Amino acid sequence: MEVSYRFSFVLQFASIFFSVVMFYFVAKLLGEAPSVQKSLSEYGGNYFSFVLIGIAFSNFLSVGLGSFSTNIRSEQMLGTLEAMLVTPTRLSNIVLSSSQWSFAFTSLRVGVYLLIGGIFFGVSFSGAAIIPALLALVLTVVAFSSLGIISASFIMIFKRGDPIAFVLSTSSTLLGGVYYPISILPDWMQTVSYLFPITYSLRAIRLSLLQGAGFSEVGGDLLALIIFSLITLPISLACFRYAVRRAKRDGSLAHY
Amino acid sequence: MRFLRRTAPILKDSLICDEVCGMLEYAHMADLVLETHNLTKEFIRRKGLSSPRNPLEKKVFTAVRDINLSVERGEIFGLLGPNGAGKTTLTKMLCTLILPSRGTAAVCGFNLAKQQGKVKSKIALISSEERTFYWRLTGRQNLDFFAALHGIPKKLAARRIVEVLEIVEMTDAADRRFQEYSTGMKQRMGLARGLLADPEIFFMDEPTKGLDPIATWHLHEFIRGTLAAAGKTVIVATHHLAEAEQICDRIGIMIAGEMLASGPVKELTGDASLADFFRNLVEQTMVERLDS
Repeated sequence: MEVSYRFSFVLQFASIFFSVVMFYFVAKLLGEAPSVQKSLSEYGGNYFSFVLIGIAFSNFLSVGLGSFSTNIRSEQMLGTLEAMLVTPTRLSNIVLSSSQWSFAFTSLRVGVYLLIGGIFFGVSFSGAAIIPALLALVLTVVAFSSLGIISASFIMIFKRGDPIAFVLSTSSTLLGGVYYPISILPDWMQTVSYLFPITYSLRAIRLSLLQGAGFSEVGGDLLALIIFSLITLPISLACFRYAVRRAKRDGSLAHY
Repeated sequence: MRFLRRTAPILKDSLICDEVCGMLEYAHMADLVLETHNLTKEFIRRKGLSSPRNPLEKKVFTAVRDINLSVERGEIFGLLGPNGAGKTTLTKMLCTLILPSRGTAAVCGFNLAKQQGKVKSKIALISSEERTFYWRLTGRQNLDFFAALHGIPKKLAARRIVEVLEIVEMTDAADRRFQEYSTGMKQRMGLARGLLADPEIFFMDEPTKGLDPIATWHLHEFIRGTLAAAGKTVIVATHHLAEAEQICDRIGIMIAGEMLASGPVKELTGDASLADFFRNLVEQTMVERLDS
């Protein structure tokens, strides 16, 4: 159905191009400063390739956090949720399946970010370690999705004003190293940043793609993402089950 | 015995099967596709700012109270009542969309509270609400999507969609976007979707709302001529008395959440018309409520 809005579909890809161009010039401005080189030495010292991966892969944060709740709310508003819920397919399956498109489309967007960076702006991925990067990506999707499912539980009950997505999205962007390395943050902020999965995701993906880092170098980050997912996934599913039951008890499943 | 063998798998996992002993009762119950015992729904609301001194104080609103209902296979049962009588809440409870507060119910022998997946595989909900489809998709694409949600394999779904489109006479319009359909066509697509998984029970909530007299007549013909003839059970929630009189084998009249009368129309009304019977019942109930 999303593809039926063709202009919006094309526009989204155009916006990627403009975003990449904008950061290319920001990188040109900052690029040669010694302090920038020093802060980014771990990732090869190039700000443009650093920020390109940051903005590209933070798309998964937005989709993981927002797609489940957005899809539920959208089905409630369209009026299709009730018709779906009378079928034998479980609500959790409906929600997970409806987000598949969002994740597939985001993967495509991320690919376009990297392609534009590689083809037009000379970012090199020739030494990239693909397998650790892909594993980091899968764990990133699981970790962000579990937070997104908790967010969807809020929407199921309160309909609007979900605090989870707002707090996590803004905090992750501020502290997780999307636009700048966390090493430039004050010590206490760096400590807090390790509570967010995006910190581990972006570090592992950047090191794998830009420095060709293998499992021995990004193993700690991957382990942190696994532990995070093992803790948050059962909690998120329990929250969602509770939210559905409560909405059925209140008779508000399809309300918005 | 052949009948028992045929119905035994249906009842294998059922609440009725768990609780009822004896083959005679088993056979008798096999004809009941819907049975409720004291089914009740209470909505609890906080008083909030309307009670500033105690905003957390609870207010209980009983939408459906102690409904005892038995509907047999192949029956067309009308749920009648004024607006706010609880018809939609009862329908939604029986479709697993709302959890009951008290009481039990079995749909095609499956426990409404504990076997929701199995209940849903036996029912279809057809409402007058047009916005239960994706308007930017074609009729066929919509049916394809809902067939997948019913777990119908792709090849079988394609065949089944062709069949149901023919039944509701929408074959020629199937590849047009849903948003281009008239109200009557949208309603027919609702029927087509209901028919997809070949359910036992059709729940219809105000099915003729917004339809012109010809489309209404067609729908009534479809209910009596196609669904009832195929042995399907239909529960119609409506406040159109003439509609209930015309198509229903039995009716149940709900007022303020309670089922105050049920049975075949003629047995209930005697020499009076359904309209007079209904008006008297509503007035009598209101007077009794005011007195008490």
